[in-house]
Amino acid sequence: MATEEKKAAIFEKLRDAVINYDEDLAAEGAQEALDAGLDANDAIFNGLVNGMEEVGRLFEAQEYFVPEILMCADALYKGLEILKPHVKKMDLGVRGSVVIGTVEGDVHDIGKNIVKMMFDVAGFTVYDLGRDVPLDNFVSEQMRTESDLVCLSAMMTTTMAGMKKVIDDLKAKNPNVKIMIGGSPVSQGVAEKWGADGYAKDASNALKDALEMVASLKRLKQEAETKVA
Amino acid sequence: MDTAILIDEIIGEELLEAGATVIGYASVGKFLHDDIAHLGMAISIGVGRNLNKGTLALLGELQRKASRILRESGYRYLCIPPDSDRVKDTFVSKLYPLFAHKLAATSSGIGWIGKNGLLINREFGPRLSLATVLTNAPLSAGTPIEFSECGDCSLCVKHCPSGAITGELWSRYDPYVRLINTDKCSAQKKNTKGLSDKPNCGLCITICPYGRRVMKENVQMALS
Repeated sequence: MATEEKKAAIFEKLRDAVINYDEDLAAEGAQEALDAGLDANDAIFNGLVNGMEEVGRLFEAQEYFVPEILMCADALYKGLEILKPHVKKMDLGVRGSVVIGTVEGDVHDIGKNIVKMMFDVAGFTVYDLGRDVPLDNFVSEQMRTESDLVCLSAMMTTTMAGMKKVIDDLKAKNPNVKIMIGGSPVSQGVAEKWGADGYAKDASNALKDALEMVASLKRLKQEAETKVA
Repeated sequence: MDTAILIDEIIGEELLEAGATVIGYASVGKFLHDDIAHLGMAISIGVGRNLNKGTLALLGELQRKASRILRESGYRYLCIPPDSDRVKDTFVSKLYPLFAHKLAATSSGIGWIGKNGLLINREFGPRLSLATVLTNAPLSAGTPIEFSECGDCSLCVKHCPSGAITGELWSRYDPYVRLINTDKCSAQKKNTKGLSDKPNCGLCITICPYGRRVMKENVQMALS
């Protein structure tokens, strides 16, 4: 088993790789983590996700802009690709399954993809319907997969109206389903009025929300672990 | 110590040694989309070989070298790969359509846009494959080329089998002049098979007198 120092060095490497959008370093760090026998979950959350949290902070501080965020996300995925097959299924006490997509008529999916990635990282099973998704598909896919979270994205005022229909239909079919909406024309007010359970304004806010979600998952995981120990 | 000159020199020297044919630096900030405008300097990398997998791999390697130097010096960068229209599986690939390699190449003085719509370099003609690295590092920009140097030459216009080349002269100040009828060009390309049995044409490259001397020398070298 790796020493604490070695462990910390590998986490640091993964974190730096994400912050400095260095895909090669992310791959190297991930491989080192596996070679040293570290837990893949640990490496993802204490290394890669830790780095992405810092990236979120840099974005808020307007140090980083859209290209940096996207390159950091690519670096994170590079590490994730290597680590993910070694992840032991997490028992978080929550059902990790989510349906996500950009609504009909809308082809903007950068924000949606970043949110998707964070769900991916958090160990959710993600059913990505892509972009320009016919409204009925959200409902049928939710029924098929029995996911209890549905995420809708829209970038245009003309397409966001479709969200309301999806929310109504989903709530009618299955009142327990949780719905998150996002995209630049959406507001907290709209989300409340339409009965959505969560809201993210744009890619940066979605990232922040997703990060908060991951952080709370982390807390759940730690609590679960301390209970066992 | 002037770090601006230093980083130019380091990058240029390393890339040329690693197989780049030409390197140019350009200030492109004022042409860029808001999302990437903070990376206002461009390193344009040209490799003078036939377009094949080896060229793409070499350009990728050169970009990695440049970005490593930039990162180690504390600068930001964004690599636009040579085949940016084909790369779609990464997050950052969404941004590639915001930038054209030819913009960096003409702005850095590597060449102009020929009647055939391709970048023409005085020494190598249209026989360069391009990649770009955008950065916020202070590079010493080259002198932009703003007008076509094709002059009266119309070889590519005459030899184009589909008549797709309009024969107009490019100028930076006339960005909407139509040089190529792309529908005709792609229809022709679909129907012409190269030696590799892939859709191919490229007569407008072969016929261009700029850079033919270098090409001939290379062929002779390869044969001898």
